[in-house]
Amino acid sequence: MTPGASQRIGGLVAKDLAELSRNPGATVPPILTAIAAMVPAFLITIVTPKISGEHVADAQELQRAAQRAAELLPELGLLAPNAQVQAFMFQQFALFLLLVPVVGSMALAAHAIIGEKIARTLEPLLATPISTIELLVAKTSAPFALTLALMWATLLVYVGGIAAVAEPDVWRALVGTRVVVMFFVVGPLISLVSLQLAIVISLRVNDPRSAQQLGALIILPVTGLFVAQLMGGFVVGVNALLAIAAGLAVVNAGLLYLGARVFQRENILMRWK
Amino acid sequence: MAGELVRAQSITRRFDSRVAVDALSFELSAGEILALLGPNGAGKTTTLRMLGGLILPTRGSVDICGERLTGRTAARLRRAIGMLTETPGLWDRLSVRRNLLTYAHLYNITKPRQAVDRALEIVGVLDRAADLAGSLSKGLRQRVAIARALLHNPQIVLLDEPTAGLDPASARHIRDVIAGLRAEGRAVLMCTHNLTEAESLGDRIAILNTRLLALDEPDALRRTLSGTRVEIDVEGAAGDAATIVKSFTAGGLEVRGAKLVLTSVDANLVPDVIAALVRGGIRIRRVTPEQRSLEDVYLALVNEREEVA
Repeated sequence: MTPGASQRIGGLVAKDLAELSRNPGATVPPILTAIAAMVPAFLITIVTPKISGEHVADAQELQRAAQRAAELLPELGLLAPNAQVQAFMFQQFALFLLLVPVVGSMALAAHAIIGEKIARTLEPLLATPISTIELLVAKTSAPFALTLALMWATLLVYVGGIAAVAEPDVWRALVGTRVVVMFFVVGPLISLVSLQLAIVISLRVNDPRSAQQLGALIILPVTGLFVAQLMGGFVVGVNALLAIAAGLAVVNAGLLYLGARVFQRENILMRWK
Repeated sequence: MAGELVRAQSITRRFDSRVAVDALSFELSAGEILALLGPNGAGKTTTLRMLGGLILPTRGSVDICGERLTGRTAARLRRAIGMLTETPGLWDRLSVRRNLLTYAHLYNITKPRQAVDRALEIVGVLDRAADLAGSLSKGLRQRVAIARALLHNPQIVLLDEPTAGLDPASARHIRDVIAGLRAEGRAVLMCTHNLTEAESLGDRIAILNTRLLALDEPDALRRTLSGTRVEIDVEGAAGDAATIVKSFTAGGLEVRGAKLVLTSVDANLVPDVIAALVRGGIRIRRVTPEQRSLEDVYLALVNEREEVA
């Protein structure tokens, strides 16, 4: 980076934030994903038992799974049976919220990068003193910041919703190391993978929606993990999350290398058709 | 050369096996407009991109303000260059001012608002600063793009088809702006398909079709490449006159009744031709020197090149 880099990057990030915030095509899908990721937890854990007049703890299998999970997450062990099962369910569904950084990053980055490509606004940018690495940092910063903000806002709403409608103290059982690792380590790393994938995909596609569809491939592992957790009646613990984070860090390093190779002035000008 | 701001020495650019620009050399000085003409795919935009430090030549070198343009120096030297790309490339969802302010940050301009207002004033769109870029007409968008190229007060301005697709009034306005750049002592390289524009604005004209086919002042270009065409109306049949004139012209000589048509004659020899006719007793009614148009010259050069290719 050369002198004045922060002003150049800052200027471009501010522009991207302003532009993305005025683009419903970019912002609506992540917001809808956030809502869709939260709703099932409340439907299954709160609404359905209310309608049927039962408690979630009445399901023996769930109660046994919650007790097993309490060995991994001690905060569950302090709760009454019904609250314990609720907390177990909300812990499981918390993993589903990781779809927000996946979809958010991909949607926002696709618009921030492919959108510029379609509008043919990249060449004037490349004619300025900004270096390609500065451009890369700037183009990923705005989607990254917006995605993190959305993910954390989703978490707040999720916990707030639990505090409002679940058994007392269920929300407390949620706010622990597991959630911190999930949303402050794994979430940002997933977001970075998604962003970097968007850059690599940008070389080949001319439509933000195509990029999002290709990017949807990384939804599969998250969904797979969630489904496995749900079917197996276990929760992905802190150690497993840290292992996943380490794996994501490696993937990020590989994508960074690939992205830096793709994101070259000549590539952008001559091959990004 | 004094005031030389751009020097391209034998620059060549290949894209895989295709040669886009081949051994192009020229200089560009302060206060000069060089018009770059050429058919589609002739390498004009590639040339501009090489001069603007967006891509590097495969061979040859570019000096900007006396300094060699390389991968290392490109970012710094781009500060001396203002570039209008083929399309305006504005962010439609943002206002005109916001568009330019972003670029002011990219150029690390210390007083961005003043710089933006000054640039918008130069191109006459300051009153539209608050409008969304997407709401502007094509002509206004082009003016804003030119303002963006001038924002950081560059010594060198590279313009890629600045008036393409504009209505006559908008094109005229932009041509006035470009002429103003010369008056301010900037070096301007302008790619265009508009021969009239090239002729009226260009101090020199370069004709490019992968290779440089010609580079000179408009008048000289017409003269040296095609020679002068002269029509001489004489009294009576022009047969005798043709015999006298024959020795002066290596090119064509045509007799049409009482009219002699000399093509490709050296303009300096025309007075001698007239004197010889008068000495030979020929009564001359009218002499009409007629230079070929730049379009003729351009088409002749480009077609010749394509035939060779």
